Amino acid sequence: MAKTTSIFAKLPPLRGLLPLILFLIAWQLLQPRQSPYFPPPSAWWTSVLTLLRDGRLMPALGSTLLTFGAGLSAATLCGGAIGLLIGLSRRASRTLGPLLEFCRSLPPPVVVPMAVLLLGYSQSLKLLVVTWAAAWPILLNTASATSQIEPLLLSVARTYRLTSTDTVRKIVIPAVLPAFMLGMRVAVPLAIIVTLLVEMLTLMPGVGSLIVTAQREYHSAEVYGLLVLIGLLGFVLNNAFIVIEAKLLRRWPPRAHEIT
Amino acid sequence: MPVGACSGIRQAIGRRGFNLPGAITCFAVLAVWEVAVRGGAVTFDYLPAPSAIAVALARLVLSGQMFADTVHTLSSALIGWSAACLLGIGLGLLLGISSGARTYGMATVEVLRPMPGIAFLPLAVLLFNFSLQTELVVIVYPSLWPVAMNTMGSVMDVGARLHDVGRTLRLSRWRILAKILAPAAAPMILAGCRVSMGTALVMAVIAEMIGNPHGLGYAIVREELAFQPADMFAYIIVVGVLGIALNAALVALSRRAMPGHFGRGSDRG
Repeated sequence: MAKTTSIFAKLPPLRGLLPLILFLIAWQLLQPRQSPYFPPPSAWWTSVLTLLRDGRLMPALGSTLLTFGAGLSAATLCGGAIGLLIGLSRRASRTLGPLLEFCRSLPPPVVVPMAVLLLGYSQSLKLLVVTWAAAWPILLNTASATSQIEPLLLSVARTYRLTSTDTVRKIVIPAVLPAFMLGMRVAVPLAIIVTLLVEMLTLMPGVGSLIVTAQREYHSAEVYGLLVLIGLLGFVLNNAFIVIEAKLLRRWPPRAHEIT
Repeated sequence: MPVGACSGIRQAIGRRGFNLPGAITCFAVLAVWEVAVRGGAVTFDYLPAPSAIAVALARLVLSGQMFADTVHTLSSALIGWSAACLLGIGLGLLLGISSGARTYGMATVEVLRPMPGIAFLPLAVLLFNFSLQTELVVIVYPSLWPVAMNTMGSVMDVGARLHDVGRTLRLSRWRILAKILAPAAAPMILAGCRVSMGTALVMAVIAEMIGNPHGLGYAIVREELAFQPADMFAYIIVVGVLGIALNAALVALSRRAMPGHFGRGSDRG
């Protein structure tokens, strides 16, 4: 899709929300009487309000957001730094390549039971698992972009006798940034999923355990309400990242195949 | 999700035949692991040695248990994936061809798309209990979007360039769809399907961990709770290998189907 100067120019028209709104209104009006499985949207709202008033929602939300934020930050730092180092050295990328490929091909969720068994239930477990899952796309994207830097750019650095720190700062990082951000765009939803999964599997405090508890106690309205809440969370986090990315990459040429 | 965003480091490094240093590293890691566990240098209670994992893997394969679990996970992932591809292509075609559908639907899609599929798991359990339907709900929802978005993008792209050609040749609407849109959009749609395959497998494993007590995902959690780390690692390895194999199969298939579009190294979509 074409890159536009304004972020808001890309937004689809708000009229497009009509099907969703009509669907919810129809649900509210046509709800089967007293159906335990399909509570009307108004009941979702009151159940979330109840959770909020009981003081259960905010701590859970805070814990989930904290795990997500801290995990993603750690993944960004580790993934970016290690990716850069591996990409810069041909020997390192060749030596570590197969091992990294295997680690990446492990689906992130299977890491959760493994980590639980090795580390036990703890806050650091949540953090570690999210970091591990989110670091791979960033690491591999950065490494592959670093190793494919136009050789001419590096020759320029040599001609100007730049120190290696300056070469990395002025040539490598600007060249790699778009690929790095693309890796992050994959990492953001992944980090959300893995955060929720850890909470669902271990029932440690968080939105994930809140929704599983609601399901086990057959509070269906609460399940729907939390589902919408998680949806909003995903929507806000993903779009916040896209805005940040667009702002950061304003002065870079648009990507060849921009598919979002 | 952008297509092929993490298309491997392999392309950058692995073109020069057998990678000896890479293989040595892998063996070195395994050897250090083995020695560390056997020698008691590692303090984790439940970290099995690689040899123990290999023994567990062999035992599970020979007993037929592994095969049964793999078949379950694979078939649910494939069923869910096929459904997601059909729905996704349908939705993508609708949104790509009709600008009205885009105006009155795109915002809804943008709101629904970033919903984490895993959040549907408790709801699905509530509605369908611990069953295959639960698993399929969780597989289909997130796998749908890469296909739909790629289909829409490619149809719009092709539409702008080639639609006029069709009009000039006075082709009917269906002929334009069959002769121009479909062949031109197919490579990108296939790329979307490939991304979806990975998603479908991961979601199948997640759904089995929480929602449907069958298959590889359930086996991993079961062995974890039974404190059988060697068995658990064996299952994890099988899940990893399954992912690699499925992706390789799809790459091979797309190359076979469209030799021009999926040359060596251009399989990024």
